[in-house]
This record gives sequence, structure tokens and C-alpha cells, in this order.
Amino acid sequence: MTSSLTLRERSEAQASRLPPLLARAEQLAGTVLLGDHGRRRAGLGDDFWQYRPAQAGDSKRLIDHRRSARGDQQFVREREWQIAQSVMLWVDQGASMRFASQDGLPSKADRARLLALATAILLVRGGERVGLTGTALPPRRGNAQILRLAEMLTVDGDDDYAAPEHRAMIPHARAVFISDFLGDLSEVELALTKAADRGVRGVILQLLDPSEEAFPFRGRTIFESVGGTLSHETLKAGDLRDRYLARLAERKERLSHLCRLTGWHLGLHHTSQSAQSALLWLYRALDRGRS
Amino acid sequence: MTVLAGIGFASPWLLLGLLALPVLWLILRAIPPAPIRRRFPGVALMLGLKDDESVSDRTPWWLLLLRMLAVAAVIIGLAGPVLNPQQARDEDGPLLMLLDASWAGATRWPETRELIATQLTEAGRNDRPVAIMRLSDPEPPVFQAADAWRSRLAGLSPAPWQAGISQTDQAISELNTIDHDYDTHWISDGLSHDGRDQVLATLESRGAVRVFQTGGAVLGLSPAQFEDGAVQLTAHRSVAGSAREITILAQGRDPGGTMRVLASVPARFTDGALHATAALSLPSELRARITRFEIQGQHSAGALSLADDSLRRREVALIAGREDREGLELLSPLHYLEQALIPTAELLDGALLDLLPANPDVIVLADVATLSSAEETALTEWIEAGGMLLRFAGPRLAASNISRDAEDPLMPVRLRAGGRSVGGAMSWGEPKTLAPFAEGSPFFGLAIPPDVTVSAQVMAQPDPTLADRVIAALSDGTPLVTRKPLGQGQVVLFHVTANAEWSSLPLSGLFVEMLERLAVSSSAKAPQADDLAGTIWTPLQVMNGFGDLSDAGTLPGVDGPELADAPVGPEMLPGLYASADRRLARNVLGADVELPPALWPDRIAVEGLSVTSEQPLGGLLLSLAILLLVLDVIASLALSGRLGPGRIAAGLALVLMSTPPGPLQAQDAQDRDDFAIAAASEMVLAHVLTSDPEIDRIAQAGLRGLSETLFFRTSVEPAAPMGIDLETDELAFFPLLYWPVTPDQPIPSAEAYGRLNEYLRSGGLILFDTRDADIARFGAASPNGRKLQQLAAPLDIPPLEPLPADHVLTRTFYLLQDFPGRHAGRDVWVEAAPPDAEQVEGMPFRNLNDGVTPVVIGGNDWAAAWAVDDNGRPLLPVGRGFSGERQRELAHRFGVNLVMHVLTGNYKSDQVHVPALLDRLGQ
Repeated sequence: MTSSLTLRERSEAQASRLPPLLARAEQLAGTVLLGDHGRRRAGLGDDFWQYRPAQAGDSKRLIDHRRSARGDQQFVREREWQIAQSVMLWVDQGASMRFASQDGLPSKADRARLLALATAILLVRGGERVGLTGTALPPRRGNAQILRLAEMLTVDGDDDYAAPEHRAMIPHARAVFISDFLGDLSEVELALTKAADRGVRGVILQLLDPSEEAFPFRGRTIFESVGGTLSHETLKAGDLRDRYLARLAERKERLSHLCRLTGWHLGLHHTSQSAQSALLWLYRALDRGRS
Repeated sequence: MTVLAGIGFASPWLLLGLLALPVLWLILRAIPPAPIRRRFPGVALMLGLKDDESVSDRTPWWLLLLRMLAVAAVIIGLAGPVLNPQQARDEDGPLLMLLDASWAGATRWPETRELIATQLTEAGRNDRPVAIMRLSDPEPPVFQAADAWRSRLAGLSPAPWQAGISQTDQAISELNTIDHDYDTHWISDGLSHDGRDQVLATLESRGAVRVFQTGGAVLGLSPAQFEDGAVQLTAHRSVAGSAREITILAQGRDPGGTMRVLASVPARFTDGALHATAALSLPSELRARITRFEIQGQHSAGALSLADDSLRRREVALIAGREDREGLELLSPLHYLEQALIPTAELLDGALLDLLPANPDVIVLADVATLSSAEETALTEWIEAGGMLLRFAGPRLAASNISRDAEDPLMPVRLRAGGRSVGGAMSWGEPKTLAPFAEGSPFFGLAIPPDVTVSAQVMAQPDPTLADRVIAALSDGTPLVTRKPLGQGQVVLFHVTANAEWSSLPLSGLFVEMLERLAVSSSAKAPQADDLAGTIWTPLQVMNGFGDLSDAGTLPGVDGPELADAPVGPEMLPGLYASADRRLARNVLGADVELPPALWPDRIAVEGLSVTSEQPLGGLLLSLAILLLVLDVIASLALSGRLGPGRIAAGLALVLMSTPPGPLQAQDAQDRDDFAIAAASEMVLAHVLTSDPEIDRIAQAGLRGLSETLFFRTSVEPAAPMGIDLETDELAFFPLLYWPVTPDQPIPSAEAYGRLNEYLRSGGLILFDTRDADIARFGAASPNGRKLQQLAAPLDIPPLEPLPADHVLTRTFYLLQDFPGRHAGRDVWVEAAPPDAEQVEGMPFRNLNDGVTPVVIGGNDWAAAWAVDDNGRPLLPVGRGFSGERQRELAHRFGVNLVMHVLTGNYKSDQVHVPALLDRLGQ
């Protein structure tokens, strides 16, 4: 009785969270679909791509007689290339992502989930298979997968800084890692090298809050991580700024180096920027990786 | 109360708390500001970073100082500091407050009253019974509680005279009746007066005396005198201080009847001088209007001098019967009159009918027997309107038949034929002397010189009325001067000639005095007691100590010599006195007066009048402490980093929003924009705001009515009319300004006129409406007309003419020939047609000037005829019955035509319209 009630409550809470995320992701994805769709190349597929004059070597079976009957020339009907890719998403669910420096800004986790889900919608509509890294949700296609993705993405993690999941990578698939990458970089390094070993290429999107870039703090301050596991006290926060920024730059440099080594794309996004630009960048980056 | 460095403390022991401040300093210094806890994911990057130095764990010294100051302010504030503490004096026993209470202290009376109030407070605190006594009006002193006096304080006022011997004597006797000792506070006006020393001696015999007196000089003004063609004014001061300039104002009624400053003249006391003189040269018309002179800034009876007849120069027209005796100047009938009158009167010379329109005060006919009937009628009218006709006898009058059988209206008595001659070579008897003037005669009291003799005269017929009409007679009882009233004026006949042929009267000083008594001339000098002997003067207006005039009411009259001589006092109030036609002002100060300052023996302490009131500082200090603590809060927040730049900006914005100037200007600009949009988005009729709300309301309602009429009848569809403030509002949006003229509206500033001229030059039209039906015809006496002249003088207006019958205004929409408003008045004035405008044969109108007339001036109160209420019903009645409604309709039509004229200019002046107009005119 009790358990079913709590289950009901929890599921209602989950369900109430899902639609807005889904709706926002759909809306965000919709802005991209309009201008940028298909593979843009002739190939195997169902959709019409173009008529081209028949060339030597073309099978007679391929000649489109309806078109050819209108003139003396023979035409071949080409279809758009459609091939399914597997794309694996990893979204940092750690506590550090649940941070927003100002009331008007979304938390990093919120933005990461939104971007991930919107990318997933785009990919699914493009006919790709999308899943999560690890074994929890292997890549599948179809709208049901989006619902499952949305469900999985709304689960908060417990750790302060989550490590990327690198198990069960499908060889030659694509991957998208979205995180603030403020945790241990060696885990990331491990995941990327492992992925590179399997021929998985993809995109890393570093998502930062503006305050993490600017460090606008002064005076005597005790800094705590969102999860509460780490803390640091300083008497003059302003003096720490330069050294903090140096460390941040160093971290970005390491990530970029890592990406160059493994052939991944690295992107930086701030929660104060528009989600659409990040989505466009993500989609482009994935597209480019595929072509 | 303990006093430290001029500041008293109610509870000085609290100040020991200041000793705790150093301890507080040490404690506060050791406590660093509390840290802020922040969630921040980037903390992972900061692990291991060390602070450079650990300085900031102590409060900075300036913050400590701020807090110390706040605490010190609280401690001192609670200790009850008082600035200017009133030290309790060890005086005890009854207190007498003796006030000079003369006009000399009137200017500083508010300070005096405040001083008395302060002393009453102090006396009340010490439970001292108090008596207040005015030396200028001594009453038996009554010792009462100070609070009882406090309520009567407002009733104390200075008298318009200074205490004299009689008052001080009375005061001393009153003081001697007090059977106990008392201390005295003598509040002196700063002027010495008789009997002061005796009073002081009396007071000192009963107790201590303190004197309160201002060091400033008392100013006074002598009566104005007319000399050398100018009004001579002399001001006096009691203390010969450094050079000082004062301004003397001449006040009087302007032609509109309102009291105002007619002229002002500066007078300068040179260094060390007690007197300052100034000469004020004024046209006689203006001079006659002056009723008083006063020193600017002084509010006392002594600094005020009332003007009387001595400033008034009467206009006397002299007409003689014989002008042909060239070369015999001394025999001229007018010679002695001229000599007697020239110093004090304006003489007019000319033909009678030319002189009458000038409306002289007196017309003298010296030996003129016959007048033409036209002259007689005009002269009679003039006398009945208040003129005075003074006739002298002479050979012609004696030889004529005038007033022989029946009394001539222009003669006071009937005359016997021929007259008589006494004491001559061919007659018996001695030349006659004058009988003493009877009581009731205007000459009563004048001394008769023994050498005045009369050798010939015309004789009056004994009539029943003769006795009443004789005002001077010879020793044998025959009339010498007779008088009769005629209408509001009078006719006076001297039964002798105006030269020395028949009598020696014109040679004597008595002649001049008689003319003065008859108000033919007025004396330039202050009258002496002898001059006024035998006259009774009734007070018209009397003044109080402040120099304010009030109606005399039923005060008894005073004897003439007393008026001249007696010192000002309770029985002889300063003010304006009248006797028959003459007016005499009795001022507080005479012509040659000294204002001796009050000097006190060394043993008497003299203190100033000014009171420095106690001022508690506690609230001020506690407010300062709160302010400091607020600063401390801000500084602490800033130090601990909780005051981000965003919040500082928000705080600054809040502060800026609470300071008015910036936002207000923005508001102004916004208002101006709104106004411009409202005025320019649709056609709007506008009226000039006068200072009279009722006129403005009617103008607004009138333009609303006109707007509605235009809306219904024409394609002009105006929005709601607007009131325009010429000083602030932009005029360019309005095609038409309706300007109702009120006599008391303010004249616009020079900038406003600049904008108005700009408006007129750029094609605007102003409809001036004097609203008085133009009763005075333009330019003249109606107050509205005069105001219109003032208002329009700086405007750039072309020559005007009454609206000609072929002006385009008569046919812009309706065909009109009259332009009535609420009044169906006469001319409406517009820009004059060019002089070369000629009517072409066969054309009903001239080709007049291009453009729109910049002004239309009339007085028909159009707005009142147009005015409608909110329901569209006429607001004010026009005329009676149907004709009134017709007049209102015509008024509306005029308004429509005017607006059409403004909007279409000379369109209807185009000859193209001639056939249609001719058709409509039915020609």
C-alpha cells in the first residue's frame, strides 16, 4: 500500500518533470529541423533525392520510365542516402551540475539535459539510434526511445563530480559527452582513450556557469561544493581569482589536447548563452563527424 | 545643568561612557568580519590554494573609527546636550516689565514680543509674579502669574506717540503705589524721552533694573514739503552711524483706485549724519495722488508721513474783465492774485470756455460782469459738479445790472446799484476796517492787521439769506465777502477789487491767508498755530504705532492751534484731519526733529533684544549615530564582499530615484512630449490662461462650444480645446489663440513675448477679447482696455482698422456683417488693409491683403456666447428671448468664420468666388 503510494507519487513527480523537458527539447529541436535535414547525398534510402541522366553502367532497372517518357533522354531516379548511426550520450548527472549562480540562469544540469534530449530528438528524427553510454539504455530508434531517454536523463546523481561512463561502448559509434569537467580529468582521459581505441568519435561539450568563468567573489568566504564534500576557506577571495582562472585555463587546455589526440570535437558553452546556439553547434559537430 | 564648552548637558555622568571607547576599540578590532558560505562547483580547482597573507582578519581602522564615532554619538546624545543653555538666574521676587511701547519700537515689535515671552517663561519657571506696564500708556501695574500675562501678550501693541511728561508722571505715581519691592526689566525702544531719568530713579529705589535695548538706530520721517518744484523729504535717525542708504516710498491710489507705490526715492545718510534728505520730482497729477510717504522696511508710525493739501497744487484759472490796460501792471486786476497764488498753485490763463474742459479747481473772475449764455451754462455746470467760482468786484461789476433785481445764479447776493465809496477825497467818513471774523466763518481765527482798510465796495441788497452768506464783514457790518453753495460747488464774491484800487486788502498777508482758508491756495509750509486759530478739525483717519491707518470713527474734533502745536499723545492722535474743504495731516514727527538715543548710566546693564533659544542637540546626535551605523552596515557588507557591483548599482539607482531633480526633468520632458502630441495630433483651439479661474473656465467652455459647432457644421473637426500657459507651453501647434483680457492678469515675461511674436509672424492669430463690450472705445478708460494696451504693447502687431465691410472675415463661411458675442458691441479691429487697395468697378469687395490678420481685437465676450456645459447646453444667457438666441447663433457664426479664416487664409477673397457670392447676396 505504502510502497505503491510512494511509487505513484514518485512516478507522478517524474511524469510532471518529463513533459516540460520533452516539450522544451522538442521545441528546441524543431528550430533546427527546419533548415537542416537529411544526409544531403544520394544513396540508399526511401526518400526521393534527384533525377539524373542515365549513364553507362546504370542498370536498366533503375531507369525511371515515368520521367523518361517525357523526353528522349533517359533518367535515373536517385534516393537520398539513409543509414542509421548509433549515438551514445553521456550527460553529467553529478551534484556539481546542479548549480546556477543567478536566479535568472538555468542550472548547468538543466541546460545539459535539454541539449542532450534535443540532440537526441534531432538524431531520432534523422533516423539514427540514440542511447546512453553504459548498459542502462542502449541505442535504439523511435519516439519511445526519446521518452526513455528523457526519463533516464532526469535522474540526479549523488556524486559531487561524476565520472564519464565508458563501459559498453559500441565500436565505431558516435558519442556526446556533456559535463562541466570540473572533476577528475583522468577519468575523462580514460574514457576518451578507451573510446578512441574502439573507433568511437564524438563531441565533448563543456558547460560552465558564467560565475565559474568570472569568479566574481571577494572578501572572506568559505567555498563549498554543491554536494558538500569539498570546502575551501579563504580570507580574500579576490586574491584567488587569478590563480583560479589559471587553473581553469589549464584544465581547458588539457581537455583540448585530449580531444586533439583522440579526434573528438571540443565545445564550450555557458549557461548564460542561448541553448539553441549550443544545439546548432552540437548538431553540426555530429554531422561533420559523420560526413 | 552642567555646561561644558558652551553646551549644557542634562545628564553629564553619561559622558563617562566615553571612557569605555578604547576598550571597545580593542574588542572590535580583534573580531574579523564573519565569512560568507558559498556553494561553488569550481571549488575543486581551488583546493590547495593559500591566501597571500592573513591581514584582513582584523577590522580595518576606518571601520572601527566609524563604529567608535557612532557609539560616541549615542553616548553624547543620551547625555542630553543643549546648545545655548539658559542659565537660571538667581533672581527672585516680583518682576516689573516696563515697556517704552512707543512708535520707535514698532518695527522691532515682534522681537520685543518674543523677548517678553522668553522672560515670562523664565519668570514662570521661577514662580515670580509679573506686572507689565507700558510707559506710553501707563496703567496701574498688576502683579500676576506669568502665564496670565502670556495670554495677553498678543494684545500688547506700541502707541503712536512717545511717553511725555504727563505719562511719566502718571507712571511714577502708579509705581509709587506698589507696596513691595520689585525688580525691573525695562524694554527700551532706543529713544530718549522726557521724564526717563525720574522713572529710572523710582525703579532703582525698589530693586535691580535691567535694560533691554537694541543697538540699531531708530528711523523717522518728517512731513514732506514742496519746495523748488520737488517734494522734499527728510529722514532722521537716532544714532549717527556709518553711511546708510534707505528708500522712501511714495504711496497712493493709482487711477484704478488700488493702493500702490507710486514712486520711490533713495535717501542717503552720510557717515555720521543724523539726517538724510531726498528730493522727489513728480508731475503734479501724480503728486496729488500721493497719500503717504514711508521708509521702506520700517513699520512704525514715525517712519510714515501722511501727505495732505500741502502737496496738492490747485489749478486756478484767472480771468479778468479788463485786459487792455497795458503797462499798468500794478493796476492789473490779476496782479495780486498771481503774486499770492504763484508759490502754491498752478495758474491757468485763457478764455473761459477753453479753460473749463481742463477742469480747474478754482476759477477766478476778477471784475467780470457779463458772461455769454453759453459760458454761463458751462460755468454753472462746472460749479455744480464741485467747482469753486471766486469773483471780485470792480468798476464793471458795479456799473453792470447783473444780479440787480433778481439774484444771479453765479452771484452769491443781489447787489445795489453803484456801490459805495468811503473815506475818499469826495466822500465823508474814514476808510472802513474789517470786523473780526465771526464764528462759523471759514476765516474765523485769522488775525486782522489794523492797516487793512476798504475805501470802496459793492453793496449787497439786504435779503433774507444775506446773513447766512456773509463770511467777512466790515466794521460797519456791510458784507465784504459773501458765499453761497451751488450744487456741490460754491460761489464766493469779494466785494472789493482784486487789486489795491478799492482796498488795501490785497496788499496784506491776510489776503493770502483768506485764500488759503477758502482752499483756493494751499500753504506750502506746515501750518502754524496762528494760521489755524479758530478752526475745528475732525479726524478722518488715525494711525496706530505701526503706522496703520484706521477710520477715526467718532473721535472728537481738535482745535486748530492744538493740531499745529500740541505734542502727539492720547488726546492728539496722529492721522489725517479735515476742516471743510481742507485736509491736514498730523504726523508723529515734525519738520525739525531730533531723535535722541536713549543713553543709560554705567551702572545699568543694557542687553540686546535678541534671544538665543535653547537648542537640544540630543536628537541630532542620535540621528548622526544612526546614519553612522547605516554607513557601517554598508561598509561591512562591502568589506565582506556581499555588496556586489550589481547591488551597488541597484542601491545607487534607488538613491537616484529618491532624489527628485533628475527624474523630475525627465518627467517634464515627458509632459512636454505628451502636450505636443495632444496638441499636434488633431486641430486644437487654445485659449490663454489668465490668473482668473472663472475666466479660464468660461474660455474653455466657450472654445468647447465653438469646437462642437465647427464639428457639426463644417469639415473642421477640432479636438478638445486647451488652456495655454504663455510662459511654458509651445504655441506653434495652435492656429488660433483666444485671449480674454482681465485687468489683473500678469504681463507675460519677455521670453513669452518673444514666442508670441514668433507665433504671430508664423501665421498665428490671437483673438483679444476685452469682454467689456468695448464701452470705452479703444484705448481709453476701461480697465480691460488699458490692460489690453499693456498686454499688446510688446507684440509685433501691424496697423489696425475697424473690420471693413468687405473683409474676408465677413464671408469665409457665413456671410456676416455683425460679430456679436455676449455683447453686441461695436467695432472689431483687424489688420488694416493696404492703402492702395481699391475697389474694382463691379466687384463687391476689394482685393485686400494676403494672409491672415495676426490679431482680432474686440470686446464682445465671445467665449461667453459660445460657452456650453458638459451636456452641450448654453452656459450663459445671451440677450433676451429669440433675439438673444439669434445673437448667440451669430456669435457661433463669427467663430466659424474666424476659424475658417485662420485655416483657409484669403481663399474666399479670391475673385473666383465672386459669382457664387453675388448669387448668395441676391444681387
